[in-house]
Amino acid sequence: MKTEDQAWRELQDHAAAQLRGGFATRVLRAVHGPDARAWDHLQRHAGAQLAPGFATRVLLALRVARAGVPSLFSQFAVGAATGAACLVAVVYFHSRSTRLQEERNLADWQRLAAEVQDLDATL
Amino acid sequence: MESTAASTELVALVRRAQKGEEAAQRELIVAYQHRVAGFVYAMTNRSDYVEDLSQQVFIKMFRALAGLQAPAQFESWLFRLARNTCIDQLRRQKLRRIFLPFQPEHEDVAEPAGAVGTEELDALRHALAQLRPAERALLALVQEGRSHAEIAETLDTSVSAVKARLHRAREHLREHYTPHHED
Repeated sequence: MKTEDQAWRELQDHAAAQLRGGFATRVLRAVHGPDARAWDHLQRHAGAQLAPGFATRVLLALRVARAGVPSLFSQFAVGAATGAACLVAVVYFHSRSTRLQEERNLADWQRLAAEVQDLDATL
Repeated sequence: MESTAASTELVALVRRAQKGEEAAQRELIVAYQHRVAGFVYAMTNRSDYVEDLSQQVFIKMFRALAGLQAPAQFESWLFRLARNTCIDQLRRQKLRRIFLPFQPEHEDVAEPAGAVGTEELDALRHALAQLRPAERALLALVQEGRSHAEIAETLDTSVSAVKARLHRAREHLREHYTPHHED
């Protein structure tokens, strides 16, 4: 009987030795979840990631962004002007190529008419 | 009484910043930079995102500040901006992975345990990393002192839905809140 008791005690000791230090803390932490201190640590760590002069950098970036980003109206105006310029170019090149083609056709017809007249004269 | 004075002071500060007064804008940044950084860190779990995203939050804030009708609502408005900025970043990150041959583990290189601070902080970071961004946002908003009603307005949902989601988020956080490096 004594041997059995001792065996149980040894088993218990062995099992207890498997528990690392701070076991109770870990159990309580798992039960209660993170406390305010953990959130404070998180916030402090995050705050430490901001290099000194953060406010100055933000204001500088804001100024650069304001200067660099055109207003919605100016973006629209540039878009409309580009569209109008493209339309004018398309109309110009279309009318020019049509006129050239007509001139070529007219010249061909004139040549043909002259050839027909020559043929009539020879007959 | 003290909080009323503080909120009156805040409203005056916001109004000055709305008028474009740089000193007031600077004061607003300094007053909120650590809280915004904490919120960003809780949402993204990445130290290297904190500075960039915090800067984005404040730039967005100043661009939209003129349109803020109720300066008394400044804090909840600011943290709504912060939440949206972080969620956008997480979405962009997810989208980028479709086009790049990187696996999440290549990009989300975890900060080694103990590298960022105390065991408690490590445990909290580990637990937050296991949650969905929406749950992290909820918990971070609560930590920022936002009321259920304010959170409901931010998330465009009802107060009872916020309470239910918050309960689930807290349960999940508690489940995962054990130091992962102690195995």
